Amino acid sequence: MRGPIEVPMNRSTLGTQNNSSRLTQEPWYLPLADEVRLFEAAYEARLPVLLKGPTGCGKTRFIEHMAWRLYRQIDSPRRGLEVPLITVACHEDLSATDLVGRYLLSGDQTVWMDGPLTRAVRSGAICYLDEVVEARKDTTVVVHSLTDHRRVLPIEKTGELLDAHSDFLLVISYNPGYQSVLKDLKPSTRQRFVSLEFSYPGIDIEATIIAHESGVDPALALRLAVVGEKVRNLREHGFEEGVSTRLLVYAAQLAAGGIEPRRACDVAIARAVTDDAEVQKSIAAIVDVLLP
Amino acid sequence: MISPVTQQRGSDQVCFADVHRLLALFAQGLAGRYLHLKLVEPKDAPRGIARMTEEPSIFLPAQIRNFATAQHNLGAYRIAVLHQIGYWVEGTADFDLHHFFAKSSRPVLLRRIFFAVEDLRIDTAIRRRYPGAHADLERVLAHALANRSAISLMPSLPALIEALVQFSLGAPRAALVAGDSSGLLDGLLDAAAAVQSMDADVHDSARVSLAICAQLEYLGSANEAEPPAPAFANTTAAVDGKPDGDFDPGPDDLEHGAALALEFRGDTASDKAFWRRSSRPFATSTREPAPAGGAMTEDNTGHPTLPVRPPVAAVRPREIAGPRSFLYDEWDYHRQTYLAAWCRVFEHRLRGEEFGFIEDVRRRHSTLAHHVRRQFAFIKPQSWRRVRRTSDGDELELDGLIEAVIDRRTGHASDSHLYVRRDRGLRNVAAAFLVDMSASTDFALPGSATVAKPADAAAQAAQSGLYLYGGHDMPEPVFAPRRRVIDVSKDALALMCDALQALGDSYAIYGFSGDGRDNVEFHVAKDFADKLSRKTWGALAAMQPRRSTRMGAAIRHALGKLARETAGIKVMIIVSDGYPEDHDYGTDRTDREYGIQDTARALWEVERAGITDFCVTIDPAGHDYLRRMCKETRYLVIDDVTALPQELTKIYRTLTAR
Repeated sequence: MRGPIEVPMNRSTLGTQNNSSRLTQEPWYLPLADEVRLFEAAYEARLPVLLKGPTGCGKTRFIEHMAWRLYRQIDSPRRGLEVPLITVACHEDLSATDLVGRYLLSGDQTVWMDGPLTRAVRSGAICYLDEVVEARKDTTVVVHSLTDHRRVLPIEKTGELLDAHSDFLLVISYNPGYQSVLKDLKPSTRQRFVSLEFSYPGIDIEATIIAHESGVDPALALRLAVVGEKVRNLREHGFEEGVSTRLLVYAAQLAAGGIEPRRACDVAIARAVTDDAEVQKSIAAIVDVLLP
Repeated sequence: MISPVTQQRGSDQVCFADVHRLLALFAQGLAGRYLHLKLVEPKDAPRGIARMTEEPSIFLPAQIRNFATAQHNLGAYRIAVLHQIGYWVEGTADFDLHHFFAKSSRPVLLRRIFFAVEDLRIDTAIRRRYPGAHADLERVLAHALANRSAISLMPSLPALIEALVQFSLGAPRAALVAGDSSGLLDGLLDAAAAVQSMDADVHDSARVSLAICAQLEYLGSANEAEPPAPAFANTTAAVDGKPDGDFDPGPDDLEHGAALALEFRGDTASDKAFWRRSSRPFATSTREPAPAGGAMTEDNTGHPTLPVRPPVAAVRPREIAGPRSFLYDEWDYHRQTYLAAWCRVFEHRLRGEEFGFIEDVRRRHSTLAHHVRRQFAFIKPQSWRRVRRTSDGDELELDGLIEAVIDRRTGHASDSHLYVRRDRGLRNVAAAFLVDMSASTDFALPGSATVAKPADAAAQAAQSGLYLYGGHDMPEPVFAPRRRVIDVSKDALALMCDALQALGDSYAIYGFSGDGRDNVEFHVAKDFADKLSRKTWGALAAMQPRRSTRMGAAIRHALGKLARETAGIKVMIIVSDGYPEDHDYGTDRTDREYGIQDTARALWEVERAGITDFCVTIDPAGHDYLRRMCKETRYLVIDDVTALPQELTKIYRTLTAR
């Protein structure tokens, strides 16, 4: 008898390698407004949620934090679920099949393999489709039936109509900044979601985040937050979204690792956000006067 | 950080022109809004009108070479920017200075005192806000201080004011007080030092200024009989004390006072008008432009602040309908914002009777017409493509085959489309040609009127050289009408049409001109939906030079049309003969930059909509402005206008052969 056939991973299969998170520790998240309370209320009503906001503003961290709160807190009835959050980074080759599942060859047999969405629907996890507009249009077909009163997932290949687990929730994210021209969510899709809008936090909150994530002293974190605010004023000059909180944290982490702060800002901010040499110099000048 | 241009000048000086963009971005980043960077006028230049601007501006010297290194000179520029930004950030700009000074019985004195105190507050704030600028600031202040006049030679009143200024520049307090003969300075400096507190704001500066002013007024009244020292008649005394003892000078002195202001502090004393919010009678919009095709509003929307809606032609009864019109935003680079619904574009259909235009073009450019067609014929083979999942083809597609096997094993119907085929791909291109129809395209080409036009076979023979032997028997040569820039553009487009028809691409030909923002003309010779016909040739022939070149609005209108096309590759080719201009393209007609910046913004909108733009100009000076309007790879300056047809063909091939 032949052994099992190794199924090569093509691009499409690799794309669905989701970041299943067991969330054994609470992901740190600093609320900006009432988003935590809103998400909890949406979850209680099992309303699908759309997270909107620029890159690196904390959308993914927020959903990880919320999954921990809903599935891992001491008093949560859902603590037993091994993988409470299934994240799929969507890309342009991601199809409905990649989300739902496919038959794979195994020896002389074919074996059905659930996709990440189907696994979440069966188990009652939160399925987070990151940058959903990047995915192929056929993915919206399977999303629609899960996001209204039906809460079902049709699996065409197996002929199954899968009822969603009562704890299942679909969350998608979407960055309107750079996707608005060529790609957009159709109204028929976006009007199925409660929409939570994120933006970069104010200076004090951003400084707290930078200090927490990098370990730099609060004074430098505050200076970096100010740098972020000022650099975002140049967002029309070749970088539409400004500098993300994530990049500011990177700069701070480099500084915490012994890199001179101006150099850290140069590589983590100025050169990361633009290729325009003059804009890079301007950012460097801003950093230069703002840092002690 | 210093540009090669600066370094080539062989000194450590830094020139404004070299660091303009760097400083403009630096200022915008720190101030949170665009501030217009302008040159401080030479001291002997007429002052007043040119300086009184409503634009938020920073005034900088043409070059700085006061310091030993280029880095330090650039640092001085940065301090000048930071100091003047301080007026915005620290609240000076929100304070009604005009009213404040006007209420005083000694407005010039009060202003002098106020700015000494306020500058002290601003510099203190710079130290606090920008710790990295500390070294540059101290260097600049020390330099400014070193160039001040000696207080000991001044009469008491100017001496006190000068002491206050020097204190704001960092002069040691003890030394200043030691040289004071009035006994007032210690108290004045105490009052001034209060604005160095972190909590101090512009109102504190105003209060301190009034208090100091009152003290000086008292002293001035007491000293009225004291003659001013001659050495200062042309300097501080000219502002702060007049020979007749009245230390509040007139308007001339006021203007002269600006010349005495400290360079790095921006010579702002006479320019506070720019801080006040503009009261221009139109709404501005800070929003992003609407997505392609969405920047237009309906003709009869009325108020310009209404939200921009997708393009809808003016709704008018057919019997009274004139040309359709559309409203477009325009980019005001001074304010870095869109002027909402600022331009009205009228769309006209070109109609002409010269249906035989194409035959004439083919005859006059027979070799070129053949060449263009041949060039376009080469495009086709480049567009082979692999078509997957076909029912037959050159090879099997592995993914499809595996899926079919799996489907069969699981008892499902399998797909028989398992082949990959090489197909000649259908070209999926939409191209818009936008032709400048401004008055300048009426210029005759050099020597064009002397080109003989063979009237018949005999004349052709004559032109080919036979006349050398035919002598006086040959017929008189017939001269062609003078050829103009627009004629060459029309010929080029006609040849393109001829070739594009064979290629199957979707294309449109538009002309633009206009006369002011309320009358931008957009002429349609051929729209995307139009079939090529005799009417097209007639319309093309009817393109004639008209008025100005308001390019931004025309580009936005063409963008709207292109955006509605569904082609995979979209191209906009703009053919012009000069920089964008119109009599009201910007507040100042001589300001070329406004039109250039608006056009650059419109082209940015085109690119943002996923459309490839390209500018062709036959203006030899085109490099000067095109490099600021387009990317380097997106424009071409043609020296010889007659080369336009050939160049246009090359450009089109390059842009669409993807």
